[in-house]
Amino acid sequence: MSRSYDRALTVFSPDGHLFQVEYANEAVRRGTCAVGVRGKDIVVLGVEKKSVLQLQDPRTVRKVVMLDDHICLAFAGLTADGRVLIDKARMECQSHRLTVEDPVTVEYITRHIAGIQQRYTQSGGVRPFGISTLIVGFDPHDTRPRLYMTEPSGIYSAWKANAIGRSSKTVREFLEKNHKDDLTREETIKLTIKSLLEVVQTGAKNIEISVMESYGKVTALDLSQIEAIVQEIEREKEAEAERKRSRLAATAAGQAAMSSRAGDAAQPSGQQ
Amino acid sequence: MECSFALTGKGYVLIAADTTAARSIVKMKIDEDKIKSLGPHLLMAYSGEPGDTTQFAEYIERNIRLYQIRNLYPLRPPSAASWIRRALADSLRSRKPYSVNLLLGGYDTSNHTPSLYWIDYLGTQAEVPFACHGYGSYFALSLLDRYHDPEANLEEGLAVLRRCIDEVSKRLVVSPGKYRVKVVDKDGIREIEF
Amino acid sequence: MARRYDSRTTIFSPEGRLYQIEYAMEAISHAGTVLGLLAKDGVVLAAEKKVTGKLLDMSGAKEGGYGGSGEKIFLLNSNVIAGVAGITADANSLVNYARTAAQRHLFTYNEDIPVEMLAQRLCDMKQGYTQFGGLRPFGVSLLYAGYDPHYEFQLYHSDPSGNYSGWKATCIGANNGTAQSLLKQEYKDDITVEEAIGLVLRVMSKTMDSTTLGSEKLEFAVLTLDRNTKLPKAKIYKPAEIDALLQQHDLGKKDEDTEMGSA
Repeated sequence: MSRSYDRALTVFSPDGHLFQVEYANEAVRRGTCAVGVRGKDIVVLGVEKKSVLQLQDPRTVRKVVMLDDHICLAFAGLTADGRVLIDKARMECQSHRLTVEDPVTVEYITRHIAGIQQRYTQSGGVRPFGISTLIVGFDPHDTRPRLYMTEPSGIYSAWKANAIGRSSKTVREFLEKNHKDDLTREETIKLTIKSLLEVVQTGAKNIEISVMESYGKVTALDLSQIEAIVQEIEREKEAEAERKRSRLAATAAGQAAMSSRAGDAAQPSGQQ
Repeated sequence: MECSFALTGKGYVLIAADTTAARSIVKMKIDEDKIKSLGPHLLMAYSGEPGDTTQFAEYIERNIRLYQIRNLYPLRPPSAASWIRRALADSLRSRKPYSVNLLLGGYDTSNHTPSLYWIDYLGTQAEVPFACHGYGSYFALSLLDRYHDPEANLEEGLAVLRRCIDEVSKRLVVSPGKYRVKVVDKDGIREIEF
Repeated sequence: MARRYDSRTTIFSPEGRLYQIEYAMEAISHAGTVLGLLAKDGVVLAAEKKVTGKLLDMSGAKEGGYGGSGEKIFLLNSNVIAGVAGITADANSLVNYARTAAQRHLFTYNEDIPVEMLAQRLCDMKQGYTQFGGLRPFGVSLLYAGYDPHYEFQLYHSDPSGNYSGWKATCIGANNGTAQSLLKQEYKDDITVEEAIGLVLRVMSKTMDSTTLGSEKLEFAVLTLDRNTKLPKAKIYKPAEIDALLQQHDLGKKDEDTEMGSA
């Protein structure tokens, strides 16, 4: 009776799966994409923004939120779950300040969030949170940017760059190919947008970028800035394609010249 | 002994508090800041039982901050005052009440008005044009009755505050030496060299 | 196959969906239409009543019902009204919860609860019912129309999952697609309350099943600022006022209808 194993959350299936947790991961994959990229002294969050309907108020569509002055979070998955988890995290940030007089570190709050998520995979009668999160920020008195990810299972991990949500695999592969250590501010922002463009076909208007440059300094890029970078990326892509085309043309021309010099030799040489 | 004063003017609230931390008759410290910023447009001066004051002020500070982070806008001064008063009143009825007196000055950015609240350790709250806590009030209140002008500009407000502080220094046996002065207006909070 | 994940409590299906929520939303799409429209100087709500019958005692509703509220439109606080679509019993308990939450806010902060916060309170509760064991989700969507000094006039929509979002104009319940597209065509950003009332009635008359509108099938409310006190003022229309309003906009019953009816 396999069916009884994926109902009760606290038990393993015979082959060692926690089905509800795996299904929660599917819920995350159905959410819009979010990307985090760490540069030399900057960290950038980029999210795919669903088109706001004509009569909708864009103010209420929030995918990137502040947990405290120095920590920013993006999530993918069920929005309502996200709101509830974010609220718990915000409370912990202030509670931590009250008890030890220091702001939380990025790892601390990540661990806290992951801890909550883990509890919901083990305690009775609850389903897991259907969200993954990317958490970025700076630790107090530190200049190194941080980027963490949490998953419905309660796993958390530190990253140089990563993606969650829809098509996150494609984006992650792109990042693996293109990320370098010590990226500058411009390079980091550009890489974030470029990686998002892998899955966002509609361009700048469906992209939201938040940039954190130092402890507590967060800015959201406005549409015109993102558009400018998207255009730049497109120009580069075109130039690259152009180069490729002309190189192909050059080789083709070269080969054509070769074959014409070969003259009466009937061997067609285009296929080599 | 502890003294704090506050007064409203045209588009601002001024708050002054002494900087002495004392135990019994001994001064332990003379540069204590007893005015906390609770938000971009909210100041709170606190006095009373040492220890209680810090504990209570930090509790208030963190909760007001939590409200702002959750809702993306800060509590308006009247609402903050009501919430703080409630916190004190609840504490008064607990096993170990906080003994803290407060002056809460804020600038409401939604209707562009400054407001000042006087709150004592019994949970009494009053919105007032000017206020004092401590022995200084015996001298300052009558001066403020005479000289306070809700339409005064910042210089005039500071002059009235100066009168109060000078009078306290002159007449009060245990007058504090130094004060910190902060102002809140439409541009936010800043400290004034006094 | 699907049946394995769609019964009892809310749990994830293998594709990561929560069927219980989707079914709850399905229930709502058959419920009486509720329409909300945000104007620059007010918010308008209208709702279609489904419970009708010749023998239904409407005498209680003459005075506008309890607290001025009807069957579909409720006063949640002095600055917020809400229209509900879905399971009425669930809605009643949510409305009760909302009113308590609003009063609790008034008690601690001595101010009317901000509209978005009230929506959040309800959504936190709705979300909880999708995550904790043994519970089914609330089968209710709500439209909240309100005013607070932070964002002034606002219109929000919340669904059974615990999601919410702000709108200029939106519609829930039966035929909401038709209504949405009509609203999209006709909405202007600087619409006044007077114009909004007309637009809401026109759209309602097109989306409702019955050929003529009347107070027995329609509820109507407007939230504006009181001219003297500058405080939010909710007006939930009484049946007679609704009929008068419909006459005024030439959407009411024609005289022949009444004659035929009495014949």
